[in-house]
Amino acid sequence: MISMIVNVKLYATLRKLAPKNVQIGEAFPLDLDSPTVNGVLHKLGIGEEQAKIIMVNGTRVTKFDHELHANDTVVIFPPVGGG
Amino acid sequence: MSKVLRINMEDLSHKWQNVKPAHKTYAGRAFTSTILSEEVDPTCHPLREQNKIVISPGLLAGTLAPSSGRLSVGAKSPLTGGIKEANAGGLTGTRLGNLGVRGIIIEGAPKNSKDWYSILVGKDKCEILKTNQYAGIGLYDLIGKVWKDHPTKPGIIGCGVAGQRLLENAGVFGNNIENSDPGRYAGRGGLGAVFGSKRIVAVISDGKGGSRPEAKDQEKFDEARKTFVKSLNAHAVTGKLKDDKGEPYGGLKNYGTNILLNILSEAGGLPTRGFRSGRFDKAAKISGEAVHDLVDKTKAKFGDKAEGKYAHACHPGCVMACSNIVPYEETGKQHVSPLEYETAWSLGANLGIGILHDVAELNRLCNDIGLDTIEAGNTIAMFMEAGIIPFGDGPKAIALLKKAYDEDSVEGRLVSSGAQTAGKTLGVTRIPSVKGQALPAYDPRPIKGIGVTYATSTMGADHTAGYTIAAEILGIKGKVTDPRDLKKAELSQAFQATTAYIDSTGYCLFIAFCILDDDDGFNAMKTTVDSFLGEDIDVTSYGKDVLKKEREFNKKAGFTEADDRLPEFFKTEPLPPHNVVFDVPDEELDAVFKGF
Repeated sequence: MISMIVNVKLYATLRKLAPKNVQIGEAFPLDLDSPTVNGVLHKLGIGEEQAKIIMVNGTRVTKFDHELHANDTVVIFPPVGGG
Repeated sequence: MSKVLRINMEDLSHKWQNVKPAHKTYAGRAFTSTILSEEVDPTCHPLREQNKIVISPGLLAGTLAPSSGRLSVGAKSPLTGGIKEANAGGLTGTRLGNLGVRGIIIEGAPKNSKDWYSILVGKDKCEILKTNQYAGIGLYDLIGKVWKDHPTKPGIIGCGVAGQRLLENAGVFGNNIENSDPGRYAGRGGLGAVFGSKRIVAVISDGKGGSRPEAKDQEKFDEARKTFVKSLNAHAVTGKLKDDKGEPYGGLKNYGTNILLNILSEAGGLPTRGFRSGRFDKAAKISGEAVHDLVDKTKAKFGDKAEGKYAHACHPGCVMACSNIVPYEETGKQHVSPLEYETAWSLGANLGIGILHDVAELNRLCNDIGLDTIEAGNTIAMFMEAGIIPFGDGPKAIALLKKAYDEDSVEGRLVSSGAQTAGKTLGVTRIPSVKGQALPAYDPRPIKGIGVTYATSTMGADHTAGYTIAAEILGIKGKVTDPRDLKKAELSQAFQATTAYIDSTGYCLFIAFCILDDDDGFNAMKTTVDSFLGEDIDVTSYGKDVLKKEREFNKKAGFTEADDRLPEFFKTEPLPPHNVVFDVPDEELDAVFKGF
């Protein structure tokens, strides 16, 4: 099993799943067993329907098996809307 | 039976009329745009006697349909020179709906009058009152005085000092349910100045003696509205405050519209420091999440005395409740209500200001003076662009905006006159306006579809006119439409037509997040409208009919395809971090209304 660190940012209703004392908009390190977006979701206990918008290094990704590399920044949003 | 109230400000007379048979399905935006296209010369001066103000509650306003109490205000716009409809929540839509008023048409203007008037509308009555005591004061004071003079909790709309001085960024304010803030704005397009030109400070709607409008098929209507409430409550965007485990659930209730600030910044589409970057490093500090935390913190500290709120309804019967009350951190007392995404952007990120208190204070000043916040932020950005005050300086921006109170201050008048007038006056060449109206909170370079809407909307640059962001960024309706794709005419047209329908029903546009995702919700929504009217209304053709009238008005006012374009700098200056320009071809823009 490989181990790899990525940086994760969680917003809105997902913030509760971030470690305590992580500020809004602050990335926290996450040690992954499986180097994919799915690996992040599993580790944090985020359901696929909650991970509505996922960005890796600022670019939107739509596949849960999207491969990640060490030090990637993964940003996850639940369904949001406003205007 | 709905009635139309026609007011003549030249001789201070009024009469009640029946709704014309040809207008029987029109309310809200369909009503205001139809009346303007039939009765107002599109070439008239918007601030003289030939222009008219049309006020119309949405079709279902005053009923028990959820989130259906929006009010439309229309006139020829002094800001764009074209047709304008702006809508808002607040109390007036519901009050007029309960009074059976389909529309109020205000025409003419007093000749050489130095007096100021207010219009009091009640059950089968109308009075035109001389109210000089309401003029020249801040709007927080004004709404307090009106409720003291009229203790039936009326809805109030009207103009502040900016509108009374005929300045082009004057919005139409509205009081909120609690009458604690005049922040329910039909803000865009300078319609407050049209009120000023007719010497009207306030339209006061006293709902006493009113009743709920009845649907043609009440049983069907009641069933559909209940289904619709369930659908809205279940959706993750429009839904209830907490889930079954007591965790935050509905995005709008918890974080308000300002839930968008972080996502737009992360996506690189948040216009920052005068449209120079797509990302703001202090976005988190002024985001919906920050307001949520501030409310919780002040509640914990001040208990019952804390006035901050999220999940705050903007009008009676709103189940989405995306409004908020931002408290002062030091006292827990109300600072401003609401702080919306568009405002947190225009007066925050767009000015490089990342301090929540300063953004809230700029918002409060706009509410008090009577200014549209989107245009005001863009206007202050022109002062920053010109080097008069620095980007990021909250206290200097506040001091500049406060000059708007002073009748003798030229800077005060300029800061109330919109981005285009201020930008040109100050020698700025990067003025982010279309048809004279400044852009809202989504940069069109990385998100092309919203640029197509900005360019082609009948309203000038307006995100609500065709909110492609739902498909391009938020992934509403299943899959995400690539924001970089250039073929966006069809998407923009579909959103523009549907929006024109929603803006006529009284429903808040944010129901779209639910009904685009949930077919049962859509069908229930449509059934409420159809069973109310007793006829089957086709959503798209109804909306297109409204757009056609608006396009025709603008054409007669002198607009051509050359006006359906974005400012040059969007096509030549790449926007970091994605370093892209707006490269949708002109033919694609012209395709939006081809055949209209």
